[in-house]
Amino acid sequence: MKHRFNLLMILLMIAGMVLAACGGGATPAPAQQPAQEQPAPQQQPAQPTEAPTEAAPTEAAAPVSADALPRKETLYYNGFQWGPVVGWNPYSNSNNNGMAIAQQDSARVTMFETPYLYNMLDGKQYPLLADGDWSWNEDRTEITFKIKPAARWSDGTPVTAEDVAYTWATHVKYETAIGAANRDYIETIEAVDPQTVVIKAKLDENGRAVNPLIVQAYLSTNYVVQKAWTQKLEERSGGDPTKLLADPAEDVVYSGPYGKFFADDTKVVLVRNDNYWGQDPSMWGKLPAPKYLAHVIFKDNAAGTTALAAGEVDVSQQFNSNVQDLWEKQNLPISTYLPDPPYHIGASLPTAFYNLKAHGLDQVCIRKAIAIAVDYPAIIANAMTNQSATFEQVPRSLMNPTPFEQAMYNREAVKHLQWVGNDIEGAKKLLDECGVVDTDGDGWREYNGQKLSYVATCPNGWSDWQAAIEIVAAAGKQIGIDITTNFPEWSVYQTVVTKSDTPLPPGYEIFMMWSAGAGPTQPWGRIRNLLSSEWIGLPSNWSGNWGQYSNPEVDELLKLIPHETDEAKLKEMYTRLVEIYLTDVPSFTLMYRPQNFHTVNESVWTNFPHQGDGTNPPVPPLNLTDGWSIAGLYNLTLVEP
Amino acid sequence: MKGYTKYFLNKLGWFAITFVFAFILNFTLPRLMPGDPVAAIVARQAQGISNPTGVQAIYQQYTELFGTDKPIIEQFFIYVRNVFRGDFGFSFSQYPRTVAEVISASIGWTLILQFPAIIVGWILGNVLGAMAAYLRGGFDKVLMPSALFLSSFPAFGMAVILLVIFAVHLKWFPTSGGYGYTLIPSLTPTFLWSAFVHYQLPFWSIVLIAIGGQAIGMRSMSIYELNADYVKFARFMGIKDDKIVAYVFRNAMLPQVTGLALALGTMVGGALIAEIVFSYPGLGTTLLNGVMGQDYPLISAATLIITFMVLTANFILEILYGVIDPRIKAAQSD
Amino acid sequence: MQHTLRQVFRSGKFIVGFSILMTILLIVIIYPWVVRHPPLQIIGQGTFFPPGIYVNVYDAIHAPTLYTLNLEDAAANRIGNKLRQEDRVAMKEWLVAFGVPEDEIDIDDTEKLLALWEANYNPDLRLPGMTFARHRYFQRVNASIDGLLSTEPAIIAAPNSETGALEQKALIRQTDYANVDEVANVRILALGTDNFGRDVLTQLVAATAVSLVIGLVAGLIATTIGLTLGLLAGYIGGLVDDVLMFFTNLFTVIPTFVLLILISFSIGQDKRGAITIAMVIGFTSWVWTARAVRSQVLSLRNRDHVNLSKLSGHSVPRIILVDILPYIASYVVMAFILQVSSGILAEAGLSILGLGPRTTETPTLGLMMNWAMIYQAHILGKWWAYLPVLVTIALVSFSMNLMNTGLDQVFNPALRD
Repeated sequence: MKHRFNLLMILLMIAGMVLAACGGGATPAPAQQPAQEQPAPQQQPAQPTEAPTEAAPTEAAAPVSADALPRKETLYYNGFQWGPVVGWNPYSNSNNNGMAIAQQDSARVTMFETPYLYNMLDGKQYPLLADGDWSWNEDRTEITFKIKPAARWSDGTPVTAEDVAYTWATHVKYETAIGAANRDYIETIEAVDPQTVVIKAKLDENGRAVNPLIVQAYLSTNYVVQKAWTQKLEERSGGDPTKLLADPAEDVVYSGPYGKFFADDTKVVLVRNDNYWGQDPSMWGKLPAPKYLAHVIFKDNAAGTTALAAGEVDVSQQFNSNVQDLWEKQNLPISTYLPDPPYHIGASLPTAFYNLKAHGLDQVCIRKAIAIAVDYPAIIANAMTNQSATFEQVPRSLMNPTPFEQAMYNREAVKHLQWVGNDIEGAKKLLDECGVVDTDGDGWREYNGQKLSYVATCPNGWSDWQAAIEIVAAAGKQIGIDITTNFPEWSVYQTVVTKSDTPLPPGYEIFMMWSAGAGPTQPWGRIRNLLSSEWIGLPSNWSGNWGQYSNPEVDELLKLIPHETDEAKLKEMYTRLVEIYLTDVPSFTLMYRPQNFHTVNESVWTNFPHQGDGTNPPVPPLNLTDGWSIAGLYNLTLVEP
Repeated sequence: MKGYTKYFLNKLGWFAITFVFAFILNFTLPRLMPGDPVAAIVARQAQGISNPTGVQAIYQQYTELFGTDKPIIEQFFIYVRNVFRGDFGFSFSQYPRTVAEVISASIGWTLILQFPAIIVGWILGNVLGAMAAYLRGGFDKVLMPSALFLSSFPAFGMAVILLVIFAVHLKWFPTSGGYGYTLIPSLTPTFLWSAFVHYQLPFWSIVLIAIGGQAIGMRSMSIYELNADYVKFARFMGIKDDKIVAYVFRNAMLPQVTGLALALGTMVGGALIAEIVFSYPGLGTTLLNGVMGQDYPLISAATLIITFMVLTANFILEILYGVIDPRIKAAQSD
Repeated sequence: MQHTLRQVFRSGKFIVGFSILMTILLIVIIYPWVVRHPPLQIIGQGTFFPPGIYVNVYDAIHAPTLYTLNLEDAAANRIGNKLRQEDRVAMKEWLVAFGVPEDEIDIDDTEKLLALWEANYNPDLRLPGMTFARHRYFQRVNASIDGLLSTEPAIIAAPNSETGALEQKALIRQTDYANVDEVANVRILALGTDNFGRDVLTQLVAATAVSLVIGLVAGLIATTIGLTLGLLAGYIGGLVDDVLMFFTNLFTVIPTFVLLILISFSIGQDKRGAITIAMVIGFTSWVWTARAVRSQVLSLRNRDHVNLSKLSGHSVPRIILVDILPYIASYVVMAFILQVSSGILAEAGLSILGLGPRTTETPTLGLMMNWAMIYQAHILGKWWAYLPVLVTIALVSFSMNLMNTGLDQVFNPALRD
């Protein structure tokens, strides 16, 4: 037995050497192994059929022998892809395929397409596969939209309403993440005729849609997948959901402008489908400018920044620390969406949560005292290297800094509540007033005779969060509350924090988690995640309110908002929510974080989205891949044509 | 030759025992760590899912798939059985890729980088050390301290310094990766040249560190031998200097071969870190990904393969050593 | 013993190594007495402040005396600081592109150039083909040259506590100087700050101390285990030798680095303190010492004086302590020094992998290096954040290696120069 194994290992080593010698070990692995894992054998029979269905097989083949991607036809990325691509399966969540697959608030539409494109700058949905705007029926229980007659799959067949319906049916049947996330809100998706889709919302006991907002959001967050290909996938996975989701789907049929060209452990390249339907005048009227979208897989931010500075990356979706040095000190043709700090448009609100069951943290005054004592400018300057708006620029609320969300509440009404931080004296006064004082003279305050001593925590290795948590702890010490820090591994951290059916254990009194970014359900979705009591009691809570805050008024407001269509009333409700949030302080925002970091190098390409670039509707800085940002790919021009 | 066969079998036995032991360690240690790696995968799967039973179902599905719900002993035997078939299971962090896929994509890069680098470093070090011992004087005075200083650098330190000087400032070499960012792997001259250029900095950062330690060792050994009685006797007998020197260095080499075997583990460790600094697509980077992603099947397999490579190299060296050192043959045939 | 020591201190290599190490030790001990800042305190709002002397501007303008110095090159320096030669060339480029005749522009005549610029520049104009980055560069230049040629004094004003209106308090002329000694707050950041805004030098000193302790603990553990096992195996022999050598051989071939990774990983982040890491390193690196000690003991075991002791009925511990230990002491010391230096290197290596001691409680050289790399110091040219750390690691390890070579030459006469 041992010999067999050794032999195998040696074979493997030799194979590795040979492979490395003849082209860098880049060839897919299965050939070397006895191969009893599921994906490999299934992949094999699929190969022969792939070639004919490929829209432009000759093109895909040609440049491989030409060994290099022409620089002036390729747009290089970083920050999407941190490990090798594992699949191209739009039903699965674990493809680790940042260039092609991300079904999120602003879905990535390079390879697969959604009916509508969300634009986080104006909060609107623009038709892509869809033809014209969607519409609710009278009772707001059904959404109807049309499919563009021009829309085609990469195999040349038309995109139909049947595809939309079948995609949804598959999500439900195989309990994919998307199916699970939406089935409480969407009853069915039906094709009335080949061009017309009807989405029927799930109804509550009053006969109203459970949540019209989530139904609307489905239109721009989820891909349409071809029915014929899906059936092929089902057939080869034999109805087993695990197999279906683990399928790498190398043969997938797509409708977007780009398809797979090459992927290995060091890079992934998409190639333009020159037969892309979007060149029809009913959509873009032309093809996107770059022929290839390439993403080199860097080991870490440092390697990615080096490449960006060297002009080997055009669009950078990673955190480049001190990004302004690249143009101010190094004089490189690099810029961000905004010319000055915060350089990006913030979209999500990394937040420190309180364990509301911890000793003393059930008291509003203690929660508020810590929150107003924190040195936010230091967090923003050090942890984010100024790539976050300050709380002077964008006063704290529940809204992200996009103009669309900022207009959703009445700032004047809550102005007196919006602290900017660093208010040590104010915090001390607040604590003194509510009787939380140092009674035994040890320098730390007591509440009910027990010293206030907390642990602030976030996952290890999340450097900007760790720096932020350190600064929170420092604030506690200044106002007589003993806060120490601890950084467990992510795998430990997340199991503890997401267990919302029991109180949090000691060591998690103050902890950091994310909140939702910009999207079609926002700001409602974010507020629901932060404050709704519906998450309490879940054994695995990935949504929010990890501190287990409960307020019936908030829950009631959250129920009403999705049904409300009157803007003034909406604004009133949102303002009330902000008021409650800033008064009760169940958690507090530490910084603003952009949806995507968007830093561009104009050595080869230019005309990237920038503030004031004159586009209308404005192209959001989402790397020309997400939602309406894809429009940016059609505007690109070469610096030296 | 009987003595040698015995020696060989003895070494082979050792090889097998050590490997089994290393295997058990590789399996056990990563699994002792706190936290639930399956939950991390589920986290990825479940983002955006708002109903609890859905998440629970996904979790169940993956614990079954990875077998983490079984007792650890049972997991071990399943693991042993699978490994014999070359199946290291699924990678947690890159699911649904298998560990075997991940590793086989990176092992070639590592082999092609590390073995030449260690051997070149070893040879250069020995030549320089021998020259220092033989020439003494100025050469020795310069070489010795600089070799010492070089070997005092941590492996990643050398890598960072080379990176900053030759890649960031002088821009003579690329900063990261295994081949040019515009290229697609193929057997064309452009690609091979690019791979060669990308190879240089990681290669030399390993070589430079190896040179230092080896040169010092070789110098000591050579001086030792040069002052040995047999050399004096030979000189006295009027044997030509060339011939004496040849003997001296052959004798000085022998302990250096053992030295290489012993130092191999450390060198490989350092070289793995050099890979990381240059984002070289080898095992070092894979290991780092494993550590970051709490991916213990991947860590187990990566460390197992590194151990296996070092063990094999050791074994080969010991066998070679038995062949070239007459004393071993003599001792074994007693 | 005295003789040996004298000999040791006659070795040039040993002395050099010893002095370097002692200097580092002295700095580590004395520095915290002189500079009493907590090493991990976040002082800078922002990352990577360059090395230099930081003068408090508020205090400088409120210095007790302002001195007037009429220096000729002051104006030129002031302008040069804001407007570099390349900026002038670029301004000309912009002006030409937007229709100003080339021969009208003299980039060396600052006054004329600025006048032309002011008359023609429009921040909203963007030449077709001009990149956004370039467009913004001109906007920055425009902002930075604003008021460049002004010779008016700067006005210091403060709000009136009653009316809230601004009232002029003082005038700062361009010829006003403050003496640094008279400014209330001046902080010397000889090595600038790191990504957290901490004083790098202060942190480096503290980190060196911690790393030395880690090396020391690791070295002590490794040497103690190695020595004990080596002595036992070598002197007692037989089954004890077989069993001990079995384990020693096992750990010789399993790469220490792999073991270190596996163990550190399995401990988990929140339990990895500096001393824990030191212990892990110690427990994985004793093999060398054990092997070497054993072979030395084997050759000593049958020496005459040992046999004499045995015949006189001395106990085993006594024989080991009196008749064997002194003879291998020099060797053990050398092994110990090597263990310490490799312990320091091992900690650094682990930290780079993210497996070092848990962060932010104690600084170590490896952690400083790790954070500098995470925040891309080496790419952004922030040499002060990583180079001094590397040099310190190399110096500590170099000094120990030198000492070791020196000792080697003393104890192995054949190696002497």
